[in-house]
Amino acid sequence: MEPFERRYASALADPNIATGLLAFQRSWRDSRDAQVSDIERSCGRSFESLRDELAAVKERVRLQWDASIEEFSVRAREAGSVVVQVTTPKEACDYIAQLCRARGVKVVVKGKSMVSEEIGLNAHLESVGIAAVETDLGEWLLQLAGEHPSHLVMPAIHKRAAQIAELLTRVLGRRFAADDIDAMVKSVRTELREQFLTAGLGLSGANALVMESGTVLLVCNEGNNRMSVGIPPVHVVTAGAEKLVPTFADAMTQVRLLARSATGQPITTYTNFVTGPRPGQEQHILLIDNGRTAMAADPDIASALGCIRCGACANVCPPYAVVGGHGFGHVYTGAIGLVNTPFHHGIDAAAGPQSLCVSCGACAKVCPVDIPLPTQILEVRRKVAEERGLPPLRRLALRAFTSRRLVAGATRVAAALTLPLRRGGFTRLPGLSRQTSWRSLPAVPIRPARQRAEVRKPQAQPVLPDPPLAGRRVLLFLQCLSDRLAPDIVVATTRLLRAAGAEVVVPRRQHCCGLPAYDSGDWRSARAMAEQTIATLQSADDVVTPAPSCVVTMVGEYERLFRDDRDAQWPRRAARLAPRVHDLVSYLSGPARLATGVLDNGDREPVTVHRFCQSGNVLGHTDQMETLLRDLCGVPVRPLEENGVCCGFGGSTSLTAPEVAAGILDRKLTCVDDTRAATLVTDNPGCVLHLRGGADAGGRRLRVLHVAEYLAEHLPA
Amino acid sequence: MAMQTQLLNRFRERADEAGSTVHIIPDSAGLRGTVELVAPDGRVALAPRFAASRPRIVASLGPRAVVITGENPVATAAGCPVGMMAGELAVAETGSVLVVEDELSDRVVSMLCQTLIQVVPGSKLVATLDDTAAWLSARGGGAGRAGYAALITGPSRTADIERSLTIGVQGASRVHVVIVEAE
Repeated sequence: MEPFERRYASALADPNIATGLLAFQRSWRDSRDAQVSDIERSCGRSFESLRDELAAVKERVRLQWDASIEEFSVRAREAGSVVVQVTTPKEACDYIAQLCRARGVKVVVKGKSMVSEEIGLNAHLESVGIAAVETDLGEWLLQLAGEHPSHLVMPAIHKRAAQIAELLTRVLGRRFAADDIDAMVKSVRTELREQFLTAGLGLSGANALVMESGTVLLVCNEGNNRMSVGIPPVHVVTAGAEKLVPTFADAMTQVRLLARSATGQPITTYTNFVTGPRPGQEQHILLIDNGRTAMAADPDIASALGCIRCGACANVCPPYAVVGGHGFGHVYTGAIGLVNTPFHHGIDAAAGPQSLCVSCGACAKVCPVDIPLPTQILEVRRKVAEERGLPPLRRLALRAFTSRRLVAGATRVAAALTLPLRRGGFTRLPGLSRQTSWRSLPAVPIRPARQRAEVRKPQAQPVLPDPPLAGRRVLLFLQCLSDRLAPDIVVATTRLLRAAGAEVVVPRRQHCCGLPAYDSGDWRSARAMAEQTIATLQSADDVVTPAPSCVVTMVGEYERLFRDDRDAQWPRRAARLAPRVHDLVSYLSGPARLATGVLDNGDREPVTVHRFCQSGNVLGHTDQMETLLRDLCGVPVRPLEENGVCCGFGGSTSLTAPEVAAGILDRKLTCVDDTRAATLVTDNPGCVLHLRGGADAGGRRLRVLHVAEYLAEHLPA
Repeated sequence: MAMQTQLLNRFRERADEAGSTVHIIPDSAGLRGTVELVAPDGRVALAPRFAASRPRIVASLGPRAVVITGENPVATAAGCPVGMMAGELAVAETGSVLVVEDELSDRVVSMLCQTLIQVVPGSKLVATLDDTAAWLSARGGGAGRAGYAALITGPSRTADIERSLTIGVQGASRVHVVIVEAE
């Protein structure tokens, strides 16, 4: 496989990839959502209940790993299979090559098997003079093109029809029209028919291994799998033991979830239950470890073994849509690929791909086995940072960032130095075009929010009638980004909370919740800032912040930073802080709920709303912002297509893979263009700066406001 | 009776969504007519288990009938545009037919014939995949017993190229399910 940097660059250079994958993701999403809504009508169970059940089944098997393998092996052997456990890819490849030699096999036909990709089987067989022929249409096409699959389920999805027509024309020597997909598909039937009939060995993977009967579950739409396993005199199965499920009933739970998540179908055309060899055939089942035992032993990663290889995580992933599986993955692609690659192929193979994850949380929402992929990817990122080290400049910057004073000083210097370059609210830096051609950098204000009079001192300002926060004290958590680069957001937040009747207190020593360091894999620096933040916010009062990204960190991730502590002090303090922390939108929708129309000043200029990805995927927000805008201000809100999909800021990804961030940003701004709204409202300061910068760089006349800024604009004078 | 009609309707709806055509006939006398309707000419490959249990349809098909045996099953079935076989269960939840095809000679009909006709007794209509699992468990669970069963749901298909759906890849491109009510 080519090095990551080369794969990344090639993907970006091929315009077909991004266009094709965006269309694919959108079309898949519609079918998948329709199927998931339909599950309950179809079988009386909800997606969530099936998912929880399958996750529990998989966990039970993991906890009895050896016993489960034993039970399956006994049954499969009773049915006439040879069952072998191997540890390394080499052992697996050697076994299969030796079997081929012993049986005089010259051609192997393959149904789809990701494990066979994982162990590099095709290359090994070719090296000993045995032809391995892929029979799945997508895999066959890629084999002709000399490429590896870019997706778990749809291996050639990164290719357009025209490219495939050109490939087939070249390889088969007859003309294929660019839009005649039917003819291209039919060619696989004629070209492969002979191979199925003459191959000495058929190889498959396993979607599940049913313990109660020693049965291999194989799902397939084309029909190639049943031919590969049924016709040749030898059938070999390459699978990981994580595919074990106790019963047929468990297998059906998986069947109900798999096709719906993979292809947006209720079920595949063929759902095969293969038990033992057919009469006249021999069957060998290879259970390959290759790091799976290590995964099972890692408490943070073990649940990733529940993966049923549906590909849904790739199908909702914004970075995946920009670069495809060859960039966003290794052998295994998509979010799950970022998690299991360190174990199957080493930490170095995972380092590049994992850097593309923006932590938006979309993958976890659709995973049919409830794997906490976003957190697991951050664990991988931490390992990469610890084992390979962060780039020295970054390491230094993150370490320096733990000091509030240093950051304050550096910001003052940056503000002074860039003052001559400020224009229109942005810093116009010549050069640095890889970072700035697609997103203008914000101006660095001379005075941060914490030094603004409106924030520091209680201002005489009108309090709204029936103020919901009368008599309440609220601690304001500024967020480092808003404080230093977008103080207007903080000012607006303060004004709103005071208008609602609160006494707003701004703890002086507050700095950063630790997210930037956490997101970069530097958990030591993140922990230092977490301790500092917890100490600063110690009180009985509610903490409100305009940054839901900080809420996600404080409420969801702090316990992870302290999990190795033997002393319970910090975990306890973090647990006491968590329920007190609120993002502004939640607060205004709950404790600080204002009266309908109280911010209605007659402004009816339509707006549209982008919801910070984690607000939806992690905090569970739905349409709270739209409701606030409509109820409080009476303003028309135009629906935004893909309103909860990431804007592409993604913290460190913005810096290390700006092309990916730019691609995701473009997707978002194109949806915004379609609403024809002149104002975009969002709930996260990171999104605000990213979208504002993107709109400016693209020459769009679009006002981008934090919801606090929008609402505060509508406060009575 | 009402339950049966409900199940039948649900089966037909789901099978239809999957691209199969469902025929409901009162008894096996209607089989010949169904074949006439679906495939008026061409050789009809008959899966061995099906042929053994339905000698009348074999006879009525006359020279069109090709009973698959252990002799060159692949080549024989490949040469027949139509195939006929038995289904063990018809599953209403998904519109699928569960087939048992232990031998290669049993499998080739559903593997290779472009038009596939599956005949299922009405009494073998079940509601869910859970019922199917119970059937499979009873048949082979707890004692490793070699065998091959499959749920077939509509014609073969792929969307590997730009997610554009094409029907008919390696397996059948037309699937007809015949439910025989009286059986």
